[in-house]
Amino acid sequence: MRGRNNRRRGDVKLPAEPWVGMLVVMVLLLWLFPLSVPAETVEGPKKDAVITEPVQGVDGNRTEGAPIPSSDPYGDVTEKETEVAELEGPTIADPIEPWNRAMYHFNDKFYFWVLKPVTKGYQYVIPEGFRVIFSNFYNNIKAPVRMVNHLLQGRPRRAGVELERFVINSTMGAAGLRDCAAECFGITGRDADFGQTLGKYGTGFGFYIVWPFLGPSSPRDTVGFVADMFMKPTTYVGSGWSTTERVGLTAHERVNQTSFHIGDYEVIKESAVDPYVAFRDGYVQYRTKAIEGE
Amino acid sequence: MGIRKSACVVMMFLFLVFPLVSQGGVPLDTVKTNVDSVLAVLRNSTLKGEAGKKAKADKIRDASGKLFDFIELSKRTLGANWNKLDAGQRRDFVQLYTKLLEDAYVDKITAYTDEKVDFTKEVPLGANTVEVQSEVKTKTAKIPIYYRVIRKDDGWKVYDVVIEGVSLITNYRTQFREILASKPPESLLETLRTKVGGK
Repeated sequence: MRGRNNRRRGDVKLPAEPWVGMLVVMVLLLWLFPLSVPAETVEGPKKDAVITEPVQGVDGNRTEGAPIPSSDPYGDVTEKETEVAELEGPTIADPIEPWNRAMYHFNDKFYFWVLKPVTKGYQYVIPEGFRVIFSNFYNNIKAPVRMVNHLLQGRPRRAGVELERFVINSTMGAAGLRDCAAECFGITGRDADFGQTLGKYGTGFGFYIVWPFLGPSSPRDTVGFVADMFMKPTTYVGSGWSTTERVGLTAHERVNQTSFHIGDYEVIKESAVDPYVAFRDGYVQYRTKAIEGE
Repeated sequence: MGIRKSACVVMMFLFLVFPLVSQGGVPLDTVKTNVDSVLAVLRNSTLKGEAGKKAKADKIRDASGKLFDFIELSKRTLGANWNKLDAGQRRDFVQLYTKLLEDAYVDKITAYTDEKVDFTKEVPLGANTVEVQSEVKTKTAKIPIYYRVIRKDDGWKVYDVVIEGVSLITNYRTQFREILASKPPESLLETLRTKVGGK
């Protein structure tokens, strides 16, 4: 064994000079262990220190003019950092907060006392596969809303994609029961609504308003909601404004949609310190993203 | 021999400049690894019963500790209000807020345990910050979940999660700001203590 090794070494003549071998080893070591220290080695003790370190002056107000240096992880935030943080979030006026809070509580009770139990029963009776089919159907039939709004927003390409999806799903997707455009051809669409269109034209929220049953909105998005309703084929089912067919369809769509989201509302509500404010901010951020994002 | 020597030096230099771990996809890989390890714990069906539940919670806490920088997250949540808290209150706040988020975040991802998570891309935000984008596919929709990470001494750490355009820290900032506008910091901590203790 040893002899063979020796012979091979001799053949290759690798360490022509000792420093070359040393250098190779050094380089390898440096390569494998870069100068930056891996996370775990630092983390443990540092974290413990944070917890066990005795805290002085917990009580009493902080004396002014004794800032904690920002090199400390718990140190003051600098003006530059706070500026970034403050500018990040969009806000909304809430002049009718008492009404809104009342409506928030009304909707909360409506969810827990009516919508959730009904949806749970529905979920139990209707298998998931069928619920997905209904969801596809309601989604497909709203294609005109998306097409018109994409056009109004000056995005003919996206309107074209919606048209394409509508044609494929209404035919090969068995009248919209299956999202064949996405499943067979990988063509995915994008949502668009009239509230968003108005926003893109520069209309602001106005103020915050919570509608019974419908939830968070604003004057702008309320106008958008009504306009979109006129473009929705299901609106024209039945002969009058409140026929059994229309109300039934709307209720079914709502319950079917909720059946995929049981638990979402609860989680957001549970994790919030002030759920009313959390949902209001969630609405503002979500809608702002829909308008300004891309 | 001269050529060989200089080649060695050049090689050594190159190795030092481009270490084994390239900087390119590090934020994405870090987030993916840590999120995956949280999901692995959640999906672990061997941890059952009361004891299993406890073990699960501990493991999730470990994993989320690697994923998040809760101090950075707390600072960015409070913004200018952070400076109104004294040193002790800051520590209390970070501890309570961490607990609140761990409870909330774990709940949220528990709801998605059966869904597929794809990490799509990273978008640079600032000099030290990157947004790692992921997508959760549900039966009827795709939910975009973006992790905002900052480069720290011990690697890339999450300081914000943006779900469907809604930033977690902005959402809490709005809530905390309303409380701090009319009440002292101690009362915010008291609210948090009640919230976390009631779980």
